[in-house]
Amino acid sequence: MMPARIGNLPLAAENPLGLSWHDSAWIPLLNPTNIMDYFSERSNPFFDRTCNNEVVKMQRLSMDQLQNMTGLEYILLHVQDPILYVIRKQHRHSPTQATPLADYYIIAGIVYQAPDLASVLNSRLLSAVHHLQCSFEETMSYSRYHPSKGYWWDFKANKPGLPSYNTTNPTPKETSNTPKEEPSTLFQRQRVDMLLAELVRQFPLPVTQTTPNQSNGVTVKMENSNEKNGDKSSDNKVVGGISIKQEPVDPSSVEMANGNSQGHLEIKSEIKQENMKPPPEKKPRV
Amino acid sequence: MDERTLRYEKIDFLGEGQFATVYKARDVKTDNIVAVKKIKIGSRLEAQDGINRTALREIKLLQELQHVNLIGLLDVFGQKSNVSLVFDFMDTDLEIIVKDNNIVLTPANVKAYMIMTLRGLEYLHQNWILHRDLKPNNLLINREGILKIGDFGLAKAFGSPTRINTHQVVTRWYRSPELLFGARQYGTGVDMWAIGCILAELLLRVPFLPGESDLDQLTHIFQVFGTPTEEIWPGMKSLTDYVQFKQFPPQQLRHIFSAASDDLIQLLESLLAIYPPRRCDCTQALQMTYFSNKPAPTVGSKLPMPSNITRIEAEKPSLKRKLLENIDGASLAKRLQF
Repeated sequence: MMPARIGNLPLAAENPLGLSWHDSAWIPLLNPTNIMDYFSERSNPFFDRTCNNEVVKMQRLSMDQLQNMTGLEYILLHVQDPILYVIRKQHRHSPTQATPLADYYIIAGIVYQAPDLASVLNSRLLSAVHHLQCSFEETMSYSRYHPSKGYWWDFKANKPGLPSYNTTNPTPKETSNTPKEEPSTLFQRQRVDMLLAELVRQFPLPVTQTTPNQSNGVTVKMENSNEKNGDKSSDNKVVGGISIKQEPVDPSSVEMANGNSQGHLEIKSEIKQENMKPPPEKKPRV
Repeated sequence: MDERTLRYEKIDFLGEGQFATVYKARDVKTDNIVAVKKIKIGSRLEAQDGINRTALREIKLLQELQHVNLIGLLDVFGQKSNVSLVFDFMDTDLEIIVKDNNIVLTPANVKAYMIMTLRGLEYLHQNWILHRDLKPNNLLINREGILKIGDFGLAKAFGSPTRINTHQVVTRWYRSPELLFGARQYGTGVDMWAIGCILAELLLRVPFLPGESDLDQLTHIFQVFGTPTEEIWPGMKSLTDYVQFKQFPPQQLRHIFSAASDDLIQLLESLLAIYPPRRCDCTQALQMTYFSNKPAPTVGSKLPMPSNITRIEAEKPSLKRKLLENIDGASLAKRLQF
């Protein structure tokens, strides 16, 4: 038998073990006499319709003929009425000899392919190795080195911190971790609030808002705040304050604010000199 | 003449048709088994040309045709007012095989039958001859598993643009829609349609389009392929017997032929195209991927034969058969008296 029909689900061709199939119209009616018909439904991705079963069925012959044919066939291997059926796909060489190719189990009407031992072992080994690797990566992030002190462990530091150590393992996993933790600490939020407020103070918004002379990250934010709040507010600082409040909702812009661009870094250093004044100013306002 | 009649020893009676009686006989000269078709005299009208018209057609055409997949006309001889034709002896035919429920036709078997049929028909068409009566019953198969197209009683040269043909050809179930609509000028498409119906029958093991009348036949066709429109079949409405049909939606062939591979469905679709010019010819059909893809066609010696040929024959010799069916044990040779 030739697999002439290219499966309508290319995914199934790659790895059928991740698939399941059912037809809810059939499920209440399933019994040992019709389970093979259920399995040979056209939409079932596990059923190869060039098999001998379908050939015999199409030719309206008795299913007993299957014994005398060679090639691909499906048999009902095991029944545990009413919940479990096992169907075997096998290659028949002679009336007495057949090589099993795969087993499928139908449990509560849902069809799965039973994995072979190699796949089970493969999957288990892979997940074990994966977890091992993760633990090593995690451990690596706690190790510290200094030329004069040598190596030591530093468990107090924040996990995502100190990117210089992670440069050896720039795994996508870690980058995906950072946004998760981004809805940041209170400290960070206050810091950003402060920086922004300071910026607004240093570079007051023009009333018409036609000249954006700020650095990129900040302009974006201002635009946001304008969109959200409309033009009603006259006080620039208040506008700045509201926009900052909404920041945590949009972590990516916070990231931007925390500083990639050079302009920001400069501003940061300026603000550091004035230190913690702005937050106390702001709190009563908000 | 006398030596000719003595050359063939009658072994058995094989069958009787409308125009002829067929015997199994041994050729004394070569010791081959042959089939002798003794043409009935028929009515005065039929014999007004001096000889029965179907026999004349067979003699005329088969004398010039030589192909492994066409029945071979070995000899013709006459005695008194009778004419007898001597053919290759064929053990069985496709109709018997299709109807034998003990036989499973694997995709490889079907492919083997189709290749042999199309090769024979390709040769026929290349020689500008239409068979016009293709059906499983006329696809004869011998012990070596070689299929030969037989019964050229309706065969005719084609291709002359002025010639008018009769549309009353081809057994109804295998008759193409243009014939059913009364077309008088047609080509190889009528044979290709019949081949498509035969292929479908090999897959389903029952006649694909078993119409009970000519109109019912068209209904069957349109129920499967959808009622054609003037866009699908330009000029359809100008055919002499055209009648308006109820609109049927076309069906998916893959739903009817559930175990057929995609390349096979493709072949079926081009053999059974409603619009005659869109139907493929034998050469195109043989070049389709179905014939080059796996599985390879079954070799002749492995093709199924009706296991119970002898038993069926002993029980009830089919009178409908024209030439066919083997009886084991060629004993009791008698002189064939014509």
